[in-house]
Amino acid sequence: MEFEWADDDARFRQALRDFLAEALPPDWEEISRHGPGSDAQSAFSRGFCARLAERGWLTQSWPAEYGGADATPWRHAILSEEMWRCGEPRGSQYMNVNWIGPTLMKYGSEEQKRLHLDRISRGDVLWCQGFSEPEAGSDLVALRTLALRDGDDYVVNGSKIWTSYVNGAEYCFLLVRTDPESRRHKGISVLLAPMDAPGVEVREVPAVVGERYFHELFFRDARIPASTRLGPEGEGWAVVSYALAYERVGAMRYARAGLTLDALAEAARQRGRLDDPAVQEKLGAARAAVEASRLLSYRVIDLRARGSEPTADTNIARVAGTICENAVSDLALEIFGADALEYGSFAESYFRLAMTAGVAVGTTEINLNLIASRFLDLPRE
Amino acid sequence: MDFEPNEEQRAIAEAVRGLLAQHAGPARAIELDRQRAYDDALADALRAAGFLGAELSGETGFLEAALVVEAVAKAGGVVSAGAETLVAAGVVGRSLAGPLALAVAGDTSPIRFGSCARTLLLDAGERARLVAVDPSWCDPVRSNFMLPLGRVRVPESAGETLAPGSGATLRRWWRLALAIECLGTLEGALDVTVEYVKRRRQFGRAIGSFQAIQHRLAQCAVQVEATRWLCYEAAARGAPEEASATAAAYASDTAHHVFRETHQLTGAMGYTREHDLHVFSMRLEALRVELGGTSAHRRAIARARWAAAS
Repeated sequence: MEFEWADDDARFRQALRDFLAEALPPDWEEISRHGPGSDAQSAFSRGFCARLAERGWLTQSWPAEYGGADATPWRHAILSEEMWRCGEPRGSQYMNVNWIGPTLMKYGSEEQKRLHLDRISRGDVLWCQGFSEPEAGSDLVALRTLALRDGDDYVVNGSKIWTSYVNGAEYCFLLVRTDPESRRHKGISVLLAPMDAPGVEVREVPAVVGERYFHELFFRDARIPASTRLGPEGEGWAVVSYALAYERVGAMRYARAGLTLDALAEAARQRGRLDDPAVQEKLGAARAAVEASRLLSYRVIDLRARGSEPTADTNIARVAGTICENAVSDLALEIFGADALEYGSFAESYFRLAMTAGVAVGTTEINLNLIASRFLDLPRE
Repeated sequence: MDFEPNEEQRAIAEAVRGLLAQHAGPARAIELDRQRAYDDALADALRAAGFLGAELSGETGFLEAALVVEAVAKAGGVVSAGAETLVAAGVVGRSLAGPLALAVAGDTSPIRFGSCARTLLLDAGERARLVAVDPSWCDPVRSNFMLPLGRVRVPESAGETLAPGSGATLRRWWRLALAIECLGTLEGALDVTVEYVKRRRQFGRAIGSFQAIQHRLAQCAVQVEATRWLCYEAAARGAPEEASATAAAYASDTAHHVFRETHQLTGAMGYTREHDLHVFSMRLEALRVELGGTSAHRRAIARARWAAAS
């Protein structure tokens, strides 16, 4: 066991920070408060990711064969930490790099890889994901969106919900049922669906968690070329499981929480409350939750660095991440009081960002189920 | 960064576990508790094998010493391993005659190993004091918390006052040792509870198959795993003030949570002396009030990180 960063990793982090100091505009803080799905942040991510790409950082974690630098999972974690810390200027493109690209590498045809990996590497393409449906949330395999083969196309009917990052997205990583007689895990396929296909309609679901945060996607006889299917027909569950294993620890959200907590302590000082033992106690408790989340995320990175198959350590890290974000956002309201109620204020922005932690990318309850069965080996029946 | 034990760490953990399997365990802890005794035999065996005392961390490192302290706690060992192996190493850099107790000067509350301590390290604020204990000062306290507790009446003039700043050094090592002892004890409590809910059948099924129970134990597991890495990192880095306070705050909060949950989930059986849970659970409650408890550790984090005034 070794808990210090290697010198070159520390240098990489510093280089990133230097770059960010210069690459982020003076009003970045303001832009980032509207959330990664907002118009402003989506637009910003294109130019920003192109600059990351120029430096070879955007897809550094990818194999050299696909234009990456074979950077270690630790190096990738540093990139993710530094990005989340300042409000994720990559916008939704972190998804492209973290799991859409790697899943394409594993399951994509040569043509799909050529088409998509290059654009992802250049940082000028936006993706969204079409997983959840009105009747398939935590129970994702209950999905019903039907894609029936007709010549060279699939004709898709159904709807997706809670889709984020639709703003400007050109493609959707879409889960469909290609066998109408199938149930549960069988008969599912993945389509790399172009969002401009006829019969695809997007509608925002207005929500308190931010502008352009949630959308519904409606498919009405939408014709999606069969050539966009990722992996064999009916084998989509394996594809999505692979993708999810990558996604679940993709966002180093504790990095944002830790920085926010430092700012909250400073705000408490300015408000004359840092010497209040009750405030100190809550700040200390939140700090411990941030550190717990950081180390449990590192444990997952460590397992990945050794090439281990995904384990329940990922679920443990997710649960701890939610506890961490809740602890910090609770304090944001407590320290700023009614000032935190103003939309776009520092405290409100963090509160809003953190609000979905226990639900996004798999609920806490689903994670606890998996910890119980895979980590504690508790019986199912 | 590397979260897997290396060969040496694995070998140390395995060797100490072997020794503990022979000399420690919940049954022995229950027997010793009946006699309100310290485990001199276990202490001798550990010391003879090089697993007790300040030299251990000198030869290997603080993280390796922490792994040993964790293993002793997980086996229900009744020895002052945290104090002798980690605190003595960090504060005075040499082994002290055990049992070694830790106390805050002027506080006359019962302390761990206060019934039998031969040496005492006192937190006297700016400086620490090292005191060779006269047995007549020790006043055993009857307790249900599965540890030999006692009050030690230390004469004002007794002992040697250590260098300026030694008080803070003592507190950070004490917090780290406490956190690691919590970790081993937490593992013991969680293990016996998980075993219990797998075996115990009601309504025609193992109660561990009910989601209400699974979620509560999974939540405990998250906190125990977080405690583990907070402890290991703080130990590997030589007990920095903030990291030690963080480990202690998180560990003691988890200790109380796991105490409540494990007793709820083991029902009436968990309260009995025939079930092993109490060896661990009662100690968790004793550990979580030490050195000011969770609140004090949390405030210590705030002081260390944001220079908040005490």
